[in-house]
Amino acid sequence: MPRGLRFASSGIEGGVSNPFREDLVSRNRPEACTVVIFGATGDLTHRKLIPALYNLAVDGELPVGVKIVGFARRDWTDEFFREGLEKLNQKVSRTGHDPETWENIAANVSYHQSEFQDEDGYASLAKRLNEIDEERGGKGNRLFYIASAPEFFDDILINLKKAGLSQEREGCWSRVIVEKPFGTTLATAQHLNGVVNGTFEEKDTYRIDHYLGKETAQNIMVLRFANAIFEPMWNKEHIDHVQITCAEHLGMEGGRGGYYDKAGALRDMVQNHLLQLLSLVAMEPPTDLTADGVRDEKVKVIRSLRQWDTPELVEQNVVRAQYTSGNIDGQEVPGYREEDRVNPESETEAYVAVRCMIDTWRWSGVPFYVRVGKRLPKKATEISIHFKATPSVLFNATPGGVPDGNVLVIRIQPDEGISLRMNSKLPGTTLRMEAVKMDFHYATSFGKSSPEAYERLLLDAMAGDATLFARRDEVEEAWKFIDHIEKAWHESDKKPPMAEFPAGSWGPREADELLSEEGRTWRRL
Amino acid sequence: MSSEISTKGLGQPVSVGSISKELKKLWEGNEASTNASLMNFLIYTEEADQLVANSEMIQALTKEHACRALLIGMDRGAPESSVEAWITAHCHLAHGKKSICSEQVSFLLKGKSLGRLRNTVFANLNSDLPLVFWWQNELTDLFEERLFRVLDRLIFDSTTWADPKASFAKITEAREQAGTKMVTQDLAWTRSYHYRLAIAGLFDDPVAQKGFSKIETVTLKAHPDQRTSALLLLAWVIEQSGWELIEKNEDRFSLKSKDGQAIEAVIEWDEEGAPLSLLSLAGPNCEVKVMRQKGNTHLCHALCTDGHCIDFSGPADSDEPAELVASQLSRGGKNSLFLAVLPQFLELL
Ligand SMILES: NC(=O)c1ccc[n+]([C@@H]2O[C@H](COP(=O)([O-])OP(=O)(O)OC[C@H]3O[C@@H](n4cnc5c(N)ncnc54)[C@H](OP(=O)(O)O)[C@@H]3O)[C@@H](O)[C@H]2O)c1
Repeated sequence: MPRGLRFASSGIEGGVSNPFREDLVSRNRPEACTVVIFGATGDLTHRKLIPALYNLAVDGELPVGVKIVGFARRDWTDEFFREGLEKLNQKVSRTGHDPETWENIAANVSYHQSEFQDEDGYASLAKRLNEIDEERGGKGNRLFYIASAPEFFDDILINLKKAGLSQEREGCWSRVIVEKPFGTTLATAQHLNGVVNGTFEEKDTYRIDHYLGKETAQNIMVLRFANAIFEPMWNKEHIDHVQITCAEHLGMEGGRGGYYDKAGALRDMVQNHLLQLLSLVAMEPPTDLTADGVRDEKVKVIRSLRQWDTPELVEQNVVRAQYTSGNIDGQEVPGYREEDRVNPESETEAYVAVRCMIDTWRWSGVPFYVRVGKRLPKKATEISIHFKATPSVLFNATPGGVPDGNVLVIRIQPDEGISLRMNSKLPGTTLRMEAVKMDFHYATSFGKSSPEAYERLLLDAMAGDATLFARRDEVEEAWKFIDHIEKAWHESDKKPPMAEFPAGSWGPREADELLSEEGRTWRRL
Repeated sequence: MSSEISTKGLGQPVSVGSISKELKKLWEGNEASTNASLMNFLIYTEEADQLVANSEMIQALTKEHACRALLIGMDRGAPESSVEAWITAHCHLAHGKKSICSEQVSFLLKGKSLGRLRNTVFANLNSDLPLVFWWQNELTDLFEERLFRVLDRLIFDSTTWADPKASFAKITEAREQAGTKMVTQDLAWTRSYHYRLAIAGLFDDPVAQKGFSKIETVTLKAHPDQRTSALLLLAWVIEQSGWELIEKNEDRFSLKSKDGQAIEAVIEWDEEGAPLSLLSLAGPNCEVKVMRQKGNTHLCHALCTDGHCIDFSGPADSDEPAELVASQLSRGGKNSLFLAVLPQFLELL
């Protein structure tokens, strides 16, 4: 076999694969496919998915021959669909909008009108996909992207199966990407997993968590495992506690209240995004970087979370709150219960703070405080690792004492970067110390803008790399943890109280107390 | 040459002994801008009148690659030895917000050169950051061991060399002496990056894959100034395909595949065309080709079977050396494919 032909055969005659691929890029190769988007007239498709595919094409990353079929209910023509997509792409595309590149994409976009529940619509979809494959004269890989509201997931999956679209055929794959929310409880997630796995194999199932597609989230593993200075200290011996904050300054604008009031902060953010970040910070080094190698370690973290499974434990370790009216950016804003589409007697939390304990050798006794909320003073998602202070014997007598321990901050968004707080002597003849900060900003150091999370994730799904997607057991273990808390809040006799905070402040006093009772404070962002 | 060398736009003249002090002053009290640096980026030229043009290239390059830029122009023919220096900063708004600045120090060295290049480099590096060294034009006697031992990445453009064989021998020797740390980057190779991606993309198609073992001809069209770019691209095709060079006759090459199939490769020169204007791999009923029209920012990719072609476009590599450098720096990597292709290329040369 010639030197170049080292790739495994992909079922092509004579065992020949593509000799020109070797060494060209250091990632799994995305393969040409037809992307079928369910919910194609919706916001996600217009704002995120199509611009992501467009930007991949601009960067020359999109495999040749990708076709896009939009599936939704409205009676639109191909032309009308494309025009709408183009208008939004002009507005939101990361790299701007080049008419020639757009034409190339648009020529491969078509619209398929059908109800999600209508079996015939899937039969005609199958026919359409076969025609596309024939035009292409070759492979017929298919990537189904379910960008619909969750109540349609079952219908779509079952109908795909009935139409024979979920099966692998003659060396061609069929994969499915499922959007969040993946279930609303453990039971619904298990049910959904049952339906998904009854339709697609787990290896072909990609549960999207767009936080994992963010550059800084991926950088957590690099920071931890490619820098010899951090890993030896990444344990209970040296780390006092960890904080994960996801602050949002928006409230319920744009009709968001309808969905949010049913979900709440815990389900909407903690179950997926924040527990994913927590598992990246806390996981053991994986044996390799394969999807399962990494996910095996992540799921162990979630599985080791101490369960807050009584109302008392929930009250001691979790704080839920709603905002009352207040000020954001100099504007008066209403309280949560006065927001558009929110039940005036709502018992849904718009803020939650959780003390998580990971019962492993590495993390025994180290709290991970997680907080997320709407109408906080600014928009920021950050992880901070608070190291233990040095023994104070040496500098005890110095004026002002010893400042706090070192803090390593990983900023996920916006202004992605890493900073390290350390103590330094103030210039002068007396010994005084002050905390100083070493700061690394992605935007300062790398002028090139990072790809959007959806770009990376779409490409990974085309390449069959599930590392940055949640696996079935991760999702279910996370729901198990969340379910106990939700039950205590909504179903127990001793429901832990709902706290309050004025919009535009950093959360309720009770959340501060969660830390202060252990002699700690939330980091000021 | 010395008298008419332009230094306009190089910034504030400073004495060589006070460069660090002056740079510090440049940033003191400047709260609005951030001085950022990911590497030392040095451009060296023995055509000293290039200094100003090089400073303009740095201005463009620093948009994406924050660095400490060092520009060194050497006028070896000047009768008297002298050295002059300038400092400036190139600032850009990062993501529309913060002003990010890269500092630049330029040197004009005249007269006797021995040891002065090396010392100027060593004395002005930002510690710990990698050193990317762009050596423009011919590798002269100043390209010597003590210098290249400290390089992390050496950039050159073999299309500017009068005697590529001799210069590549110097590069090979430098690599042996410098060890594996030094990454070598030939812009003649970078220039074909999107051609290679396009060919690889086209051969993902099963139809093209089936046609692969039946390829009979390879045709490359290039501008006559781009001889090494064209040969490197051809060498890549041969190397990846596992073919063997049987005979070479100027710009025609007889090749043989592992299963004995004969392949004819030819390079045609086109004064009017793009640096690389065509690469075609053809057999009976199947042709895979990538084309570019002069000045066009897109490549046209085509797969033709039985006279029917599917075509589409993709990005092309820039004609500007600074943009080639910037895009390669963004991709990073050790350039190991280039090294793997080099022996084959030297055979074709
Ligand atoms: N938007 C975002 O940025 C975002 C971010 C993360 C996750 N998500 C998730 O992504 C999913 C979609 O969000 P979205 O904002 O795009 O929703 P959306 O704007 O409400 O779009 C819903 C889509 O579903 C289609 N649809 C609804 N009922 C249908 C039916 N019975 N038959 C056929 N099509 C039907 C609609 O088609 P018609 O218009 O033709 O009725 C529309 O295309 C949700 O699960 C959401 O949680 C969204």
